[in-house]
Amino acid sequence: MIKILFFGMIADKVGKQSTTLQGDMMLGDVIKAVGCADIKPLLIAVNQEQVTDMSIIIKAGDEVALMPPFSGG
Amino acid sequence: MDAVRIQEQDFCLQQEVDALRATSQRMGGIVTFLGCARDFSEGRDVFSIQFEQYAGMAEKAMLALHDKAMEKFDILGIRMVHRVTTVHAGEQIVLIVVGAEHRKAAFEACEWLIDELKKQVPIWKKEVTPDGDSWVSQHP
Repeated sequence: MIKILFFGMIADKVGKQSTTLQGDMMLGDVIKAVGCADIKPLLIAVNQEQVTDMSIIIKAGDEVALMPPFSGG
Repeated sequence: MDAVRIQEQDFCLQQEVDALRATSQRMGGIVTFLGCARDFSEGRDVFSIQFEQYAGMAEKAMLALHDKAMEKFDILGIRMVHRVTTVHAGEQIVLIVVGAEHRKAAFEACEWLIDELKKQVPIWKKEVTPDGDSWVSQHP
């Protein structure tokens, strides 16, 4: 099971803070599957590390975070 | 308390400065940046700011900035605290304290740390205004 987390305005857009997907898939397909392909700018973290390569394979147990630009401070 | 942390509760600037001073008697200059919640932003009143974080990753990102700054600048120590909760206008949000032998490095490191924190730490703010809530997207 892949865990997907949504933050900030992205959570508001998808109407939830998390969801799950089954099976291995490319990161780009994970983003499409959860309806976030058109969200820009979109920051992505896999297992709490920021990534930009949409072709990496996401496997069961991985955690994918879909995040708007940061605005702390 | 840890030198780098994210917490709900308020912090005390003097306690953080004292904690940093206690680590070295070689500090000739200590620079602080204290970020507070404004009551006015983008032409409208702001009652409060709600903060959200990616727990775990946010603290790791702050620790990474701490380590990078210690390498990059000629400084002796850092303390960084960021609140993640609802912060009302006028209240404290974030504190960065940098100690160095000489002030120039402390000033440079402190400015670099707050600039990088805004870009690299997964924390978001939502302003509560009379017209409703809105996420803040920029990091000026």
